[in-house]
This record gives sequence, structure tokens and C-alpha cells, in this order.
Amino acid sequence: MGETAPSSAQAPRSRARRREAGTALLFLLPQIFGLVAFVGVPLGVSLYYSFTHWDLVAPEPTWIGLENWTHLLEDERVPKVLWNTIKFIFTGTLSFLLMSLVAALLTYRPRRGVAFYRALLFLPYVLSQIAVGIVWRWMFNTESGPINAAIELFGVDGPQWLLDPATAMPAIALVTTWQGLGYGMTLYIASLHGVPEALPEAAKIDGANAWQRFRHVMLPMISPTVLFLVVTSLIGALQLFDPVVAMTTSGGSIGMAGGPDDSTRTVVLYMYNQMFNYNERLSGLGYAAAIAWVLALLTFVLTLVQWAFSKRWVFYAGEGAAKKGGQG
Amino acid sequence: MTVTDTIKVGAPSLAAQPAPGFHQARKRARTGFYHVGMTVLVVLYILPVLWAASMSLRTDAHMFDADQLIPHPITFEHYVNLFTILPDFGRYVGNTVLIAVVGTAGTLLSSSLAGYALARFTFPGQRALLMVILLTLMVPPQVTLIPQYVIFRNLNWLDTPLPIIVPMLFGGALPTFFFRQFFLTLPRELEDAAAIDGAGRWRTFFSVMAPLAGPAYLAMGLLTFVQLWNSFFVNSIYLQDQNQWVLTQALQSLIGRYNSQYGEIMAGVTLVSLPIVIGYVFVQRWVVRGIAFSGMAN
Repeated sequence: MGETAPSSAQAPRSRARRREAGTALLFLLPQIFGLVAFVGVPLGVSLYYSFTHWDLVAPEPTWIGLENWTHLLEDERVPKVLWNTIKFIFTGTLSFLLMSLVAALLTYRPRRGVAFYRALLFLPYVLSQIAVGIVWRWMFNTESGPINAAIELFGVDGPQWLLDPATAMPAIALVTTWQGLGYGMTLYIASLHGVPEALPEAAKIDGANAWQRFRHVMLPMISPTVLFLVVTSLIGALQLFDPVVAMTTSGGSIGMAGGPDDSTRTVVLYMYNQMFNYNERLSGLGYAAAIAWVLALLTFVLTLVQWAFSKRWVFYAGEGAAKKGGQG
Repeated sequence: MTVTDTIKVGAPSLAAQPAPGFHQARKRARTGFYHVGMTVLVVLYILPVLWAASMSLRTDAHMFDADQLIPHPITFEHYVNLFTILPDFGRYVGNTVLIAVVGTAGTLLSSSLAGYALARFTFPGQRALLMVILLTLMVPPQVTLIPQYVIFRNLNWLDTPLPIIVPMLFGGALPTFFFRQFFLTLPRELEDAAAIDGAGRWRTFFSVMAPLAGPAYLAMGLLTFVQLWNSFFVNSIYLQDQNQWVLTQALQSLIGRYNSQYGEIMAGVTLVSLPIVIGYVFVQRWVVRGIAFSGMAN
């Protein structure tokens, strides 16, 4: 009798566990279906497309083996669009990370009125990148725009901004920084609020100046947030599209964006061009899929590198404790 | 505290001479300086937004005058002209609202169900599933776009809102993770109480947990709505027929074609942004909290 008791108790328990798993599956069903149908399967299919040629006029894609991939290496616009993305990372991403930290340091202390400053700094983030791009297109206008009008007050001619290949990408970077600043600031503020007040105070008593307190106390404490922002803003930088279209389109068609002289044509814009223009031998969905896969591989490698290096500089306050458990 | 006191005592006797009010006055001056500086900074910061709205109300003769931040005389002619250039503006509003409302509602429902299951159920493969969901955040949407485009084309869904709405109905990696993190913060006792009262897991979710997650729904809902309202890239792929356009596409069509008509362009920018800005004024707190929470969740 005493021996049958545990096994008979186990049967209903395992049945209950199975029922729980069944209910969980039902709760998760839409999300799992979405992952499979809109991410998993398309990911594989686009890899398949990258080995085909398809201009959508033909009923089916034609297998062409590695031709798209070898063409990527010969296509002189590929290094160009990659270089444009690197330009953006070293202007737009870097300035976003730094300026939003400055904004957070200026506004994170709870004082009267500080909520108002934060709200205004955050405002551009909720606007559409197209609307923002259009407004800044006007700001950068070389004939009657306010920026160059202000510069001319000092008796100097302003830069040609969006008309000059040397300044077009930095100008776009300025706009994306302006628009994204509030987002970065909000995350930095939340993180700064998590730093125990005793820490910088103790450092102050030990004679650390403001910079040292920031560099050696605050910055390590908020480094997980810095890592999060670095990773996500790099992923976003690789996908730059809307601001370029809004600020460089001439002639009303997206296909015309990316100027002057291709200096702002990004990877995604080039993919768009190849997807809908069929005036070259290989252009079409197949070549566009190969470009998209380059983007995916770049994202993957960059994220891995970030993650590997993060062990050197990211400091987790609760390290070793339960913190590492189920958290991404 | 005692240490700092010692330092003050040890300071040169000159510092001890001024009246006790001196230190406070200096502090007040510094606070005043901070507020003046910040006010100038934030006003300069949103000047482009103010300038755009102001241009939409100026007469053409004064369009480029520097002293027209507050337009005088005010005119609404650019708004009237905008509806001549884009006679279907009302339709674009309708298309945009449809996508934003249905897409947001669908994402919230599917993602909160999935997030709840990941937070509160135990089942085999739970951690693996969470990892897969987080990994998909790394997949650029452009990679999955091309096969999706082919599928939706074969379904004859091009130039309908379906290719944008339908994927949203099945949730998203980020909102699902967001809801998981949120449900983890709620106490288990409430569910235990509901279970004792005989409520099944579905009833517990819909009548106890979902209402408790109100702030999470509000914050995530606002973020999703704003993102859909502002989105351009996918819309420009799927909605090439002018009748199906959303507002961002209508705006984009103005540049290039009506480059010199600044009044009309800025009227368009203002009309598209105004609902979001007005909404933002009221719910700003929730948007910011949602973003802070989603960032903290990592």
C-alpha cells in the first residue's frame, strides 16, 4: 500500500503538468504561428531566393546558383552602400549614444520643471520620420533655410548640406540624433535612477571630482543600458531607410532617393531599388534577397561582436546572483 | 555626514565669514542658471517643429521672414490648398487609422497571451522558446519582407491593408517579451486566489491578470499605435495604389512634386503630426514609462 501511494499521486500530477503545457500552447499559439509564418519560413525562403533570379514577370524563380552572391562581390555599389552605412554609424549612432547620455545627465535629477524639459526633448521621437525629414529638408535648404541664414549672420557661407556628398550623410545623422535623443535619454534616466545614491556620494567624500564620479561610478553602473542601446541602435543604423527617403528624394519617386551622387544610398534603399527595378541583368527579388541576407549576416556578426566584447566593459550589479537566470 | 562637516570646518576661515544665507543664495543662483539654460535649450530643440507649424499658417509673401515665428497675418489657405493637391486626404486618414487600430489591438491580445504563458506556465521548451523570440529581434524585417511580399501577392492582397495588419495579429517578439517581463512583476497570490475560487487559466487571465496589466497594455498599445501611424517602409512596399496610401505616403508624395509650396507641405506635416502630438501631451507619462520599462527589461 505504502508503495503504490506515490505512483498513484504521480499520475495525476503528470496529467496536470500535461494539461498545463496544453493550455500554455493555446496561449502561445498565435505568437508561435506568427514566428513560424512571418519569420521562420520567410527567412529560409529568402535564402532560397538569393540563389535564384526572379523579376516577378516570370511565374517562378529560376535557380542560378551562386550568381547573385558572386555578383555582390563585383557590384561596385555594394561597397558604396556599406561605406554609407559605416559613415552613418560613426556620425548618427555615435552622436545618438553620446548626446542622449548628455541629455539624461542634464535632466535625471528630480527637480521642479524637469518633467517639462524631458517631455519636450522626447517629443520628436513620436513624430514620423517622414514628417521630420521633410521639416529638416527645409531647415537645411541652402537658399532660404534657417540654418544657413543663421550661419550667414556671421558672414560665412554655410555648407551645402543635403546637396553635397560630403555633408549629406552627416546632415541625416544630425536629424536622426535629434529625433532619437529622447528615446535614449529615457532609457539612460531609468538606468541612472537605479544607481544607489550612496555610491557617488561615497566617491565624492573620497575626493573624486564630477568627471571621475561619472566615469568610474555612474558609467559602470549604467553599462548594461549602454550595451542595450549600442546593440539596438547599431541594428537600427543598418536598416536606415525612411529618413533618407524623406530628405533626399527628388522627383517624387523613392527610386530617386539616395543622392547626391549615391552618398546616402543605404543597404535597405539599395535592396528596395533592386526589388522593384528590373533594368539590370540580375536585378529582381533574387538579388534583393541576397542583399537582405548580407544585412542579416552583418546584424548577426555585429551583435555577436558586441556581446563578446561586452564581457570586458559591462558590469552587472547583481552578478552571480539570480540575475543571470531567465533574463536576456 | 560628519566627514563633510569636518571638511567645511577645515576650510579657510574666510568661507565661514559670510552669513548663512550666502551658501543658499549661491545654490539658488545655480538652480536659476540651470532653469534658464534648460529652457533656452529645449525651446531651441523643438524650434523646427514650431517653425513647421508656423510656416503652415503664413502667407506666401511672408513665408521666409525670420520674424514670423508667430505668423501675422495668419492664413489657412495652405490647408485648403492641401485638400486640392491631395483630394483623398480623408481616405488616407481612414486607411492609417484602420491599420493602426486593428494592428495595435491584435498585437496586444496575441502578445499578452504569449507573454503571460511565458511568465506563468511551466512547460517543456519554455526557455528555448523565449530565446528564439529574443533572437528574432536580430532578424532585419527586410529579410523576411521579400518572401512575405510573394505570399501576399499570391493571395492577391497587394494594395490592401491586409499584408500590414495580418502579421500584426500574431503578436511580435518585442511586445511579447515586454508582457512577459511585466507579468513577472505581478504577485502570484492573486492567481492562486482565483484558482481557489475555481477559475480556469483563461478566466484567470481575462478577468484577473489582464485588468491588472492595464498600464502595460496602455504603454505598449501607445507605442505600437505610434509606430504604425508613422510607419512608411512596409506601406510603400505593399500600398502602391494611391487609393490605399497611408498618411506618411501622402506626405512623401508632396516632396519632389510640390517642392516650392512650403505652406502646403508644412500644412501636411502639421496635420499628420498633430493627432500624435495632442495625444502625446495627455499620455506622455505612459509612453515614457513603457519605454523605460522595455529598456529595463533586458
